[in-house]
Amino acid sequence: MPAIEVEPQFETLLSGYEKDRSNLIPILQDVQEHEGYLSEDAIVEVADHLELSPNDVFGVASFYTLFKFVPPGRCNIKVCQGTACHVRGSGLIMEELSKKLGIRSGETTEDREFSLESVACYGSCALAPVVIVDEKVHSRMTSKSACELVEESE
Amino acid sequence: MNSFSESTMDTISLTIDNQQITTEPGRTVLQAAEEAGISIPTICAHEDLPSYGACRMCVVEIEGMRGYPTSCTTPVSEGMVVQTDTTELRKLRNQVMEFILSGHPDSCLVCDHREDCEKYRPNVTKAGRSTRCGFCSNRDVCMVRNYAITCYERHLNLPTLYCHYNLERDDPFMERDLNLCILCGLCWRICEKIHGSPAISINNRGRWAKVGTAFNSSYVDSGCTFCGACIDICPTGTLTDRYARWYGKGNFGWETVCTLCPEGCKIKSTLSDNKVVSTEMISFDRESRICALGRFAYAQLMNAPKRLKRPYIRDNDELTPVSWPDAIDFVAKKLAEYEPGQCATIVDSANIRENLHLYRRFTEEAMQGRFASVPAGDGFDDIDDESLKADLQAGKIKAVVLGGDYLDPELLEGLDCLIVLDYLPSAATKRADAVLPVAILAELTGTFRDDAGEIKPLKRAVDAAGEARPEWMILRDLAGALNRNGWPYDDINGVTEDITNDPAPQPWPGSPRDSLKDLPPRFRGAYLADTVPALKDVGLPSHPTPIHPRPTTGFKILKHEEVVPNFFLITIEAPKIAQYARPGQFVILMVDETSERVPFTLADWDAEAGTITLIIEEVGRSSGELVFLSEGDFIAHVTGPLGVELPVPEGDTIALGGGCYGIGAIYPIARELKQLGKKVITVLEACSSYTLYMESQFREVSDEVIIMTKDGGKGMKGGVQEAFTHLVDRGTKVDQFVAVGCTFMMRMVTETTRNFGIPLQVALNPIMVDGTGMCGACRITIGDETKFACIDGPFFDGHQVDWDELGSRRGAYAAEEIEAIPQDTHHHEKLVPITTSGGCALDD
Repeated sequence: MPAIEVEPQFETLLSGYEKDRSNLIPILQDVQEHEGYLSEDAIVEVADHLELSPNDVFGVASFYTLFKFVPPGRCNIKVCQGTACHVRGSGLIMEELSKKLGIRSGETTEDREFSLESVACYGSCALAPVVIVDEKVHSRMTSKSACELVEESE
Repeated sequence: MNSFSESTMDTISLTIDNQQITTEPGRTVLQAAEEAGISIPTICAHEDLPSYGACRMCVVEIEGMRGYPTSCTTPVSEGMVVQTDTTELRKLRNQVMEFILSGHPDSCLVCDHREDCEKYRPNVTKAGRSTRCGFCSNRDVCMVRNYAITCYERHLNLPTLYCHYNLERDDPFMERDLNLCILCGLCWRICEKIHGSPAISINNRGRWAKVGTAFNSSYVDSGCTFCGACIDICPTGTLTDRYARWYGKGNFGWETVCTLCPEGCKIKSTLSDNKVVSTEMISFDRESRICALGRFAYAQLMNAPKRLKRPYIRDNDELTPVSWPDAIDFVAKKLAEYEPGQCATIVDSANIRENLHLYRRFTEEAMQGRFASVPAGDGFDDIDDESLKADLQAGKIKAVVLGGDYLDPELLEGLDCLIVLDYLPSAATKRADAVLPVAILAELTGTFRDDAGEIKPLKRAVDAAGEARPEWMILRDLAGALNRNGWPYDDINGVTEDITNDPAPQPWPGSPRDSLKDLPPRFRGAYLADTVPALKDVGLPSHPTPIHPRPTTGFKILKHEEVVPNFFLITIEAPKIAQYARPGQFVILMVDETSERVPFTLADWDAEAGTITLIIEEVGRSSGELVFLSEGDFIAHVTGPLGVELPVPEGDTIALGGGCYGIGAIYPIARELKQLGKKVITVLEACSSYTLYMESQFREVSDEVIIMTKDGGKGMKGGVQEAFTHLVDRGTKVDQFVAVGCTFMMRMVTETTRNFGIPLQVALNPIMVDGTGMCGACRITIGDETKFACIDGPFFDGHQVDWDELGSRRGAYAAEEIEAIPQDTHHHEKLVPITTSGGCALDD
């Protein structure tokens, strides 16, 4: 792995944690909160700090869906795929948005404008199907209204 | 710890399967059982690794404990009562196996023809993707298979899924097929144990969990040193050594010492048919780790196709092979012409002490010349004898005995006499007056002094290549021919005893076992990567090799796709062939100008569009070359249509059976017979539902389609023979059977239908070369007549075929077919992973 210039802010972040494997997940959470995702550089830095292999760190991080490995878009779109949303056609909404944005769930558009995610259940079943744009819940969505939401956010 | 304290150490008594057992505290139930000779099935437990508890095979019942604890993670305790083999446990283990097998291509394990198949097909098929044991390089040693055969019922309740991960074929030395992985974790666990910081890990989770590196980087960039431990510990065919994988189980040779660098690591070799096919670390611990050369290059150097195998002398300006006595005589006479001081010997210090000792003695006593040994891994420039170099350049040295590829062309030209002792041709052997082939590495018995001064014994594992001999023996004979006294060495022991105070070699700068950057680039002066091309991919230098350009004209590939795992549909622009093609005919093609000629049956054609379609199953080098092509590429030669079309069968109802590539082959026949107004019953045989293809096309041209799978995952369980029997049993009047597929299937169909009184046509597939009846390679016996499959066939009366002869002729080049598999890295975007989590598709 190539040596990486550590950004001062990142160094401060890491210095708050003891070199103990049990700190791995808290560090990764902290890094993601600051950077929005876990970059290759970040994984190498965290591994160096804890004296682990980057492969090991990636293995742990990729187990958890909460960790992202691609930078988030300016606008984040989540499509709920829970049971209630599912039976009311959230699959079609996801498909339509995916087609419109040209990305699959878990990806970010090349211009870093939009990222698309699925959530297992957002807990807003009474409003199903829901699409969440930047933490704002939009209820009773259709493929068409979801696409309009995207257009409004452009 | 002294013996007194050991004898008073506390012990633990427990009962396992009604047997009283005493063991040490801290042992697991599994270990205690094994000590007592009680075997508990397990896949993820390994004696060299801590308990892991992943596979759940080793479950036991323990009185007073709830549920079924895994014996590998449960420590023994006083008075414990354990049962390891109850009806309930067997049921549980069978369920565990079933879970493992539902995600591991396994149709051979539940196939009713497995025993017969393995009898008639003793060697596994060299497939790109393994879709079953018979197509898996690990068949003979697979742990999953062993348990499945011994403890698993031949019945599947769970559907068989195939992951559809891309093959990872871009690695320098490994082939990885993660579709076979059972996630036992042995690979990354052993990596962590040996290297501290593992180069691999299990990434993602659930059905996307898979072994890999961070961000799917190549193993070269992940910190992997290519010690091979992950391959050697993998219980399945997931991780394999590209070079060794098809040689089968092999036997362990004994331990020896790698002499490629002064570290002199201990290694053990795997032998197959008097050939070292791989070398491994002697045990799975940090101290025993070896480098990429010791693990992957060693065997390839020994088996280099260009090995010098006979002595040569220059006769009328040409190197001519001669006998050893003639060669020795010639060299002795040649060397005798030179005055003391005009001679020198230059050899690689990466050699056994006995060879080095006699080189030195021979130089000093018999030649009275100068002796230089080049540090291991180095070249001529690194000789620290400046006066020798200067004398060579000044032309003062007239005759040189050269133990490798050391002198540049100018120096070589300036010499009067050059005797080369080496194992490969080089610039030096080209110029030499005599070339004497030498034994290397595991072909040698002797001793090696490592850089720490330790003397380590080497024991010969295999005979030397061809007529090659150990250097000490050659030098002894040369000294004898020069009438030197005092060389009474009957065997190597005499030489060993003679050596006093030989210095330890200089340590190699760096640590090849810990860093790819530190690998020595040379052996006997020549770049290792020139002989082992994969070493280029780990950064070792090599001489440029001529690249054979791919053809830019010829037969254009219009469509190229993997229709089901390991089967490729390829559509080629070939208007003339398409115009004249008839059902049952085939083509012979050559991918490149230098490729082998290989026959493939036409699976379809379109006279109007001027295209033909083939179904290619990757089973070795030539089919592999086709698989690596893409749309838009050209095939150098396509010859056809060849062979005789299937004669139109008499009667109304024809049953066609196709298996594997034969499914494609029977399609034009079904279409033609349908057009002629026959009743067509098509039987499609596949090992599993996910290897079945073209079903919808067949439905259009058949009156009935019967699907047969070996695992029963779709249609009926069994093969073409069961389907034909089924037709007869249910009273369908069939006038003719036709079967196309592997030799084994056609043979089984022949035996099954022998007494049905219904004629059977089979399409025979012997080795073919020219396809026009000239070479005779495809000779077969039908009844008591000799026929050529290429011009008399491919269709013959199955009941008249001499199947034993056909099988033996088809297997005639089994060893060469393995050797022919290219060892350079395949760079092909279709075959490397695309996404971190993708690639896994459920098949329905």
